[in-house]
Amino acid sequence: MKPVQLFCWHFMAYPHLDKDFDETQYSGWVTVPNSLWDNRKSRGLYQEYIDQLAYADELGFDGMVLNEHHQNIYGLMPSPNLIASALTQKTSHGKIVVLGNLLPLHMNPMRVAEEYAMLDQMSNGRLIAGFAPGGGPETFNYDVPSADTREKFWEAADLIVRSWTEDGPFAHEGRYYPLRYVNLWPKPLQKPFPPVWIPGSRSPSTMTEVAKRGYCYFLSSRSHGGETHKAQQEFASVLEKHGDRYHPFRFGILMSTYVAETDRQAREECEEGVWYFLKNCLKGHLRRVGRQLTYGPGVPYIPAAAWREYLKHYKPGQKLLGDVENWDELDASQSIIVGSPETVIRRISGLIERAKVGNLLIQFQLGNMPDHLARKSMKLFAEKVAPALRHQSLQQFTKEFPGVNVESSAEELH
Amino acid sequence: MSGRTLEINGRKVWLLENGAGPPLLYLHGFADVHSVKESWLPFHEQLAKNTRVIAPAHPGCAQTDENKDIDAIEDVVFHYLEVLDALQLAKFDLVGSCVGGWVAAEIAARHPEKIRKLVLIGATGLFVEGALIGDVFMNAQPEYGSSYATLRDMLFSSADHPMALEMFPDGKGDLEDEVRRYQMLRFGSRIGFKPPYFYNRPLRNRLHRIASPALVIWGDQDHMVPRSHGETYAKVLPGANELKVISGAGHSVHVEKPDETAKLVLDFLVK
Repeated sequence: MKPVQLFCWHFMAYPHLDKDFDETQYSGWVTVPNSLWDNRKSRGLYQEYIDQLAYADELGFDGMVLNEHHQNIYGLMPSPNLIASALTQKTSHGKIVVLGNLLPLHMNPMRVAEEYAMLDQMSNGRLIAGFAPGGGPETFNYDVPSADTREKFWEAADLIVRSWTEDGPFAHEGRYYPLRYVNLWPKPLQKPFPPVWIPGSRSPSTMTEVAKRGYCYFLSSRSHGGETHKAQQEFASVLEKHGDRYHPFRFGILMSTYVAETDRQAREECEEGVWYFLKNCLKGHLRRVGRQLTYGPGVPYIPAAAWREYLKHYKPGQKLLGDVENWDELDASQSIIVGSPETVIRRISGLIERAKVGNLLIQFQLGNMPDHLARKSMKLFAEKVAPALRHQSLQQFTKEFPGVNVESSAEELH
Repeated sequence: MSGRTLEINGRKVWLLENGAGPPLLYLHGFADVHSVKESWLPFHEQLAKNTRVIAPAHPGCAQTDENKDIDAIEDVVFHYLEVLDALQLAKFDLVGSCVGGWVAAEIAARHPEKIRKLVLIGATGLFVEGALIGDVFMNAQPEYGSSYATLRDMLFSSADHPMALEMFPDGKGDLEDEVRRYQMLRFGSRIGFKPPYFYNRPLRNRLHRIASPALVIWGDQDHMVPRSHGETYAKVLPGANELKVISGAGHSVHVEKPDETAKLVLDFLVK
């Protein structure tokens, strides 16, 4: 057994928006005018963000997490593989988690297979390969028709893994990506292939497909009330149905935190970045104000029967994370955990205890948070919070999952 | 209501049928029978006074089975050739609105001999430079948590039109209406989400084959398909006179002005 794995996730937000962005701009996604990009202020921005991730590696985090977004202020990584490539050369310990490449956006999935194989070789086998279908905004950005996105996604994912594991050349006779000569050079270093993580938002069909293939399920929700625990139970029961058994490293969640010397100081230091993130970066994604692009009938990627089920429970106009109006509401959402090391330990360990989650993917830099504060928070977390979480989670997991050999299950054998 | 199911090569196709007289195939759009409402709208009831109206639901809409092989308009046209075989319709009047108008034009360009008369209402299908067809998908994503005002504005003369509010209400409407709306968007996404956006570039140069009389109707406040598309159809179709513009109507002319539109269509068909 091993303790909870702590990853540092960087979204690489655009941090130089004017204070009146929310009043003057309709969205932070897809249509947000790129005339707002300020070249003078943005010089060195990628370096600052890459260095923060390299610092996480120095501090002993278990890995660094990147993801793919297009045409927005939330995440400036249209190609996370470029950042991952830089990290292979700037870091030497932690896993490099790309969560993930958006497969339906690629004309040919072999490009992803190739780049991931390169990254695995370049990082000496540290790649965790994430595959994602892309959400509403990406659907609009790249004109991906919605009705067959899921089918395309799984065909691409399976083809990539086959190209990593089966000797070529072989012909792939697929519905969406027929290819005559699949013959990957280079192959990935990890055998049989790099760990695969798939994000989902609790749809039973995604959980089922993940379970069938033995991959790790990553819950993409940003809020962690009782729902996270429920998602874990749902995934565990899907695994059981497929003759498999849940353990904490089959599951991951995304959360944000800010740690400072005291609760009060923590809130004071992070508040500007937090509100920038909530009101600007989430506008168009997880906010009602403006147009909510991420989910809706305009991106009809689930079958009509599943939409009918969704509608039965759907409450129009429900508050989303970015709609919180005050600090107490935000605090209750358990999305951004802010406080002294003691407070953060208490709250995160409560979450681990309940949700039995082994992979915590944690966002430290929020919105326009300055470099020195992001680093201070990461350092305090690594020195004061991480040891306690590791200690407690190891005890908990050992007790609750006896006989599970995690080294020879999720990561080695999938 | 006289609905029935056709079996085509293992797939079910749902259709409504009403009236007696010469056969008229009606192909629906976004604000229409099958795509929101289960039953006929007043426009179709007017047509049924003089014709036998047959309105199939597009693949994946209402109770018609989804067809995962549909990637492009060509696949939809082939689907309808199968429907015509099953209905044993050798020659008929063809009326289509919005996306249904596009499908109608494509069918007519391939099989002009089957078409007695052709009516296009706010039809998509053409590429007209500088006049992009509106993005119905973007507008179907709610604003402010629950508002579909911009979707209504795109499909009607105004977001506050009573029919717009009835067919595309804010928040959550009737569950079955909501599901039909979703099914239509899902069908639409197969042929109009990616470029080309609800058009087929070669169509314009194929329209010359359609020798039958043709009528092109547009709302003067169409916020989805610019009027230049209607003007182009009217100009290029050999059997069409000038574009008939109905004032005070948006994209869904036949829903907003059912009597006026039906009269135009019936006069044209009987003439």
